[in-house]
Amino acid sequence: MTKQWNSETIESMLAAQGIRLAPGRAEKIAAALNAATLSGSLPLEFESDPTGYQLALERCKAK
Amino acid sequence: MSDPAALSLAAAAQALRARHVSSRELADACLARIARWQPRINAFISVEQQPADEGVPLAHKDMFYRKGRVSNCGSKIRRGWIAQETSTALSRLDAAGMPQIGTLNMAEFAYGPTGHNEHWGDCRNPWNPDHIAGGSSSGSGAAVAARLAFGALGSDTGGSVRIPAAACGVTGLKTTWGRVSRHGAMPLSHSLDTIGPLARSAEDCALILAAIAGFDPQDPLSSREPAGNYSLAKRKFRVALSSDWIERHADPEVAAAVLAAARDLGATLVEVEPPEFDTLSAHCITVMQAEASAQHARWMRERPGDYSSAVRSRLESGFAVPAAAYLEVLRLRAAWLERFCTATLANADLYLLPAMKVRVPTLEQTGPRGGAGMPALLAEVTRLTRWVNYLGVPALVVPCGFDSLGLPIGLQLVGRPFAEAALLAAGHAFQCETDWHCRAPAERSI
Repeated sequence: MTKQWNSETIESMLAAQGIRLAPGRAEKIAAALNAATLSGSLPLEFESDPTGYQLALERCKAK
Repeated sequence: MSDPAALSLAAAAQALRARHVSSRELADACLARIARWQPRINAFISVEQQPADEGVPLAHKDMFYRKGRVSNCGSKIRRGWIAQETSTALSRLDAAGMPQIGTLNMAEFAYGPTGHNEHWGDCRNPWNPDHIAGGSSSGSGAAVAARLAFGALGSDTGGSVRIPAAACGVTGLKTTWGRVSRHGAMPLSHSLDTIGPLARSAEDCALILAAIAGFDPQDPLSSREPAGNYSLAKRKFRVALSSDWIERHADPEVAAAVLAAARDLGATLVEVEPPEFDTLSAHCITVMQAEASAQHARWMRERPGDYSSAVRSRLESGFAVPAAAYLEVLRLRAAWLERFCTATLANADLYLLPAMKVRVPTLEQTGPRGGAGMPALLAEVTRLTRWVNYLGVPALVVPCGFDSLGLPIGLQLVGRPFAEAALLAAGHAFQCETDWHCRAPAERSI
């Protein structure tokens, strides 16, 4: 699916958070978001959550 | 003794114990060198003419708080800000007999990989001041390389210990996430931030790490994994690497130095497929941007003009990271860590690669006047470090050669979680066989 971020949507989204963008920045952010992808990602179990990382550190530590 | 500042931290501590040198003589030797080098490299922000305690003087990035003292964090916004508490890392160094001789230059809010700083002046590479010192712990790398302190504290969120270590030709350790308390250290991205030493050798890094590592109730994310014994005893290692990837992607001089160093490690080498550097690096950027922007939200709303344009741009980007994407990347983190440990390190203890795939660039190439190629060059500088922060594993950078311009080249070793002892032992073994870490920039051109 083609992503549709553009400078107007970026400006609106950041303005809603109270952030004033420097001139010319909205277009660059939109381009970066349109190019961003999670490709290469591993399959993700439905039950996984961010706290699982600390358990993984323990499982994977040097013996 | 000719110049006590030429000693390693380990040798200086030994000389101090044997009363061959005094704390005052060690401090004076550093102060004399600071006076000569500071105008050229701008490594220090403040200097203590009378370090508070006896011991071997270190210095720290200007983002570790000490109660009642200024911590500027490389910024205009926190210029003159006085800390209300002392960081655990500094408290532990005090207790270990490693007093501080000053605070060190850094990238603004630790959010940049080169050492440029429009508020405090750029930190410059002591091997050639036209080149970057690396960042964000720029002063830490430059001060240790020029022998202005016996070691330094840095922080590493995307490569901020390892890039300056590589660029300045010193040894730097990025610790496992949670290995060293972040209490009293300026936050950038809490899921990625780590604290680690830069010093003249792996042996010196081990001494500093032994002082600062370990659980701290004031940092609930610090690990309860036992710490403190970083034995450098010789042992057999199996080291994984991806020679073909290095030859195809790294600068030829970097590739040649790193692959030659791999052979000098004295380890069994195992060829493996490289980790997915770019995917993992992109995940790191997603986390870093979202968390850093949240950290800076109030100042970005109230005084965005007080940031440099580069840091403001990075912070603006974080406000556009979708919350679901941020959380999805954090949910994926455990799976990527397990893949690295079970696939890349299936038959090895450590993974070897360059610290930077490019040679040390100039300040101009990577600064505001860097032109159209500047963003791509900055991405190359961090391409081989950020993935390590996303996984949260430890990594050691040691100098392994010099390029044809006389700038250092760094070798990076990456381990499993809490494998700091193995990394330091491997680095020490390498440094017992080589002398790259003993070389210091000449003073003749100061």
